[in-house]
Amino acid sequence: MRRHVPQRGDRVAETMTTHPYKGYAGQWLHVDLTSGLLESRPYDRGMAEQYLGGNGFGARLLWEHMGPEVDPLAPESLLVFSTGPLCGTLVPNPGRMEVVAKSPLTGIYGDSNTGGFLGPELKFAGWDAVVVVGRSSHPVYLAISDSTIELRDARRLWGQTTSATEHLIRVIWGDQAVKTATIGPAGENGVLFSGIQTTPQRSAARCGLGAVMGSKLLKAVAVRGHGAIPVADPDRFHQVAVDLHQRLRANPIFEAVAAHGTPGIVSMMDALGRFPTRNFQMGSFPDVEAINAEALEARAFVRHLACFGCPVACDKLYTLPDGPYAGTSLRSVEYETLNAMGAAVWNADLDTILEANRLCDELGMDTISAGRAISFAMELWEQEILNLEDTDGLALHWGDRDVILTLLERMARREGDFAALLSRGVRQAAQAIGRGAEEYAMHVKGMAIAAQDGRAQKSMGLAHVTSNRGADHLKAFPTIDETGYPDEARRRYGEDYLPEMAQPLATKHKPYLVKDGEDFGAVVDSTGVCKSGGTFVLAEIYWSDVAAALEAATGMEMPVERLKRIGERIYNLQRCYNVRHGITRADDRLPRRFSEDPSPSGNARGETIQLKDMLDEYYELRGWDKVTGWPTRAKLQELGLEDVIEELDL
Amino acid sequence: MQLRVNRDKCTGCLVCLTFCSFHHEGLIWPDVARLRIEAETDNGPFSPQVCRQCNARRAAEGALAYCAEACPVEAIRFRERTGAWVIVQEDCMGCGACEEACPFGMIVFDDQRERAFKCDLCGGEPECAAMCPSGAIEWQKR
Repeated sequence: MRRHVPQRGDRVAETMTTHPYKGYAGQWLHVDLTSGLLESRPYDRGMAEQYLGGNGFGARLLWEHMGPEVDPLAPESLLVFSTGPLCGTLVPNPGRMEVVAKSPLTGIYGDSNTGGFLGPELKFAGWDAVVVVGRSSHPVYLAISDSTIELRDARRLWGQTTSATEHLIRVIWGDQAVKTATIGPAGENGVLFSGIQTTPQRSAARCGLGAVMGSKLLKAVAVRGHGAIPVADPDRFHQVAVDLHQRLRANPIFEAVAAHGTPGIVSMMDALGRFPTRNFQMGSFPDVEAINAEALEARAFVRHLACFGCPVACDKLYTLPDGPYAGTSLRSVEYETLNAMGAAVWNADLDTILEANRLCDELGMDTISAGRAISFAMELWEQEILNLEDTDGLALHWGDRDVILTLLERMARREGDFAALLSRGVRQAAQAIGRGAEEYAMHVKGMAIAAQDGRAQKSMGLAHVTSNRGADHLKAFPTIDETGYPDEARRRYGEDYLPEMAQPLATKHKPYLVKDGEDFGAVVDSTGVCKSGGTFVLAEIYWSDVAAALEAATGMEMPVERLKRIGERIYNLQRCYNVRHGITRADDRLPRRFSEDPSPSGNARGETIQLKDMLDEYYELRGWDKVTGWPTRAKLQELGLEDVIEELDL
Repeated sequence: MQLRVNRDKCTGCLVCLTFCSFHHEGLIWPDVARLRIEAETDNGPFSPQVCRQCNARRAAEGALAYCAEACPVEAIRFRERTGAWVIVQEDCMGCGACEEACPFGMIVFDDQRERAFKCDLCGGEPECAAMCPSGAIEWQKR
């Protein structure tokens, strides 16, 4: 057995040595699928200083190149895969990559973050980001082998599932260590909630970015990198990284998250009444014990699995040992999927949930939005808004397992008028159906609401409407008051904010919690680090830690205030992007159900959510106009966004 | 003293590889780590492969590791304090004999530098074991 260090590829990409900041590869790969142009593009240092990477790079590129006139599925549309300066390094869970494009689902700013091993591989190949424009004349995939780049014919891959595509690419390449981002039939067919599946079975699921990739006839991006990442101050960086690893492992909830991953919170959320059931009619699921972590582990647990550089290892391999779907094997079944394919559609059969999850992964669809499309349709059936003629012959009874699986297949292939309609997401489907259907479409700005309920956690309701990609728990990611972490609340915000800051039903201080989370989240998503690891779920790593890691890795001076300013800049720029697409305060609203129908169960029984006061305070904290919900001229000036002021004519 | 592997605990996170390469090269460079993680599939099972420091217990009696035995210039020497066979870089002439000789594929040969590299147990405090979050690689001091 030989272990020669491969000769191909530069060990440290030339741009890494010329770029003013370490931790970066120092170049983007620009891909024009129309002309076939493939080239390295350096970017100026201001980009790193103002926007860090990942999410920030993507937001800036969209702002500059994707005005309201560009259709997200048009050839000119931009698709950005972007890592960050800490991606692939020593800090805990540095395996994240951001995918950014205008969302075909919502029509506004869109991004989706994926874990696994692809982001680090791209860095080791010597690239910070891949920027794709144009449309190929036939299906292709992009092969990145260090500095050797090729567009390869993918006509034989078109139509294949995501895992088959990855397998074939690896076989053709002759290297099982190749990492990929692939779309399945859903992305090819333009399903508006299709995702991008990345090695290994991690998904950039939300916002319909798979459809953007499909519209370009780009079946996959495949990457192999053999190079190295240098840092500015090795001794200090090592010290910072070791300290963060040790603190994570000593964190009081580390063991629980490591043991059960996100399914570990199913029973907890159910008890709080924030586990959406029957399309948000209820907040608790009577059969929750059939689909919680204990049930899942007893049925299918095989082993713990980690993304690149992650001490938490919240992924698990689950394999069904017997039954109709025997052999179905999944890397991680998330809390969200257990809800979307379980409680939300009134299904207590774990095997069906796992099979539905597998179908979504293979076909390349977001489990959340796909599940929400089904629960929406089932409620319309219950309300007798739909009949057999509308549904291509499917009787959409709550919890019907065959219907769930059949609809997933049909939606991905846009088979039949009804499934094709649902494949456009709940907002568009409701508009087309009419007859009061909109009442049951649980979305904000076109994005289906995940397994989070603002009635049971007030900060989450606010977070849903202020998120820049439509309903989303992961932008502000308010974990502090989710189940109540008073110690973390004290450590982060001080005694003055207690006890309300840690209480899920309190509204006091929550606008501040949401704003701070959004800014911090924008930074974390721009560094290439995971929000599910130390930063939000464990609430261990905070501003000063990220600042210290960035300073040691990049050599950029990074006082905490400067880092906060970067987070604010990114978040404001995304908001301005949405403002440019017509978003105002009137769009920052929840479906009627949340403000008028009291939650019937759990800790939240009798609760509704009223946003007005929280929103007023939020805009004030943000320095935004309370009437329009737009960032003000003064705020944008403060953030150095003069060109944005000009474009928006503020 | 030895590195002990408990393969069932390995989650495939590769923290060991990043810290190993950083310790030895000052770069994050998994390809040149002095250990490796074999994976049957992306989802495991995983098997950490570390240098066995062959014959360390009998080194005092003059026994050699395969690599040391193969080295024509005796550049691979035993360090009593750490229990590691170490390639003395000044003496290594880059012939690659050690790489050929190692039955476990634990020698990293760098064509560009024309030098061989191997696990030296980080001078007695192996980074891989110190940083392994799952207990798959442990440092047994005895």
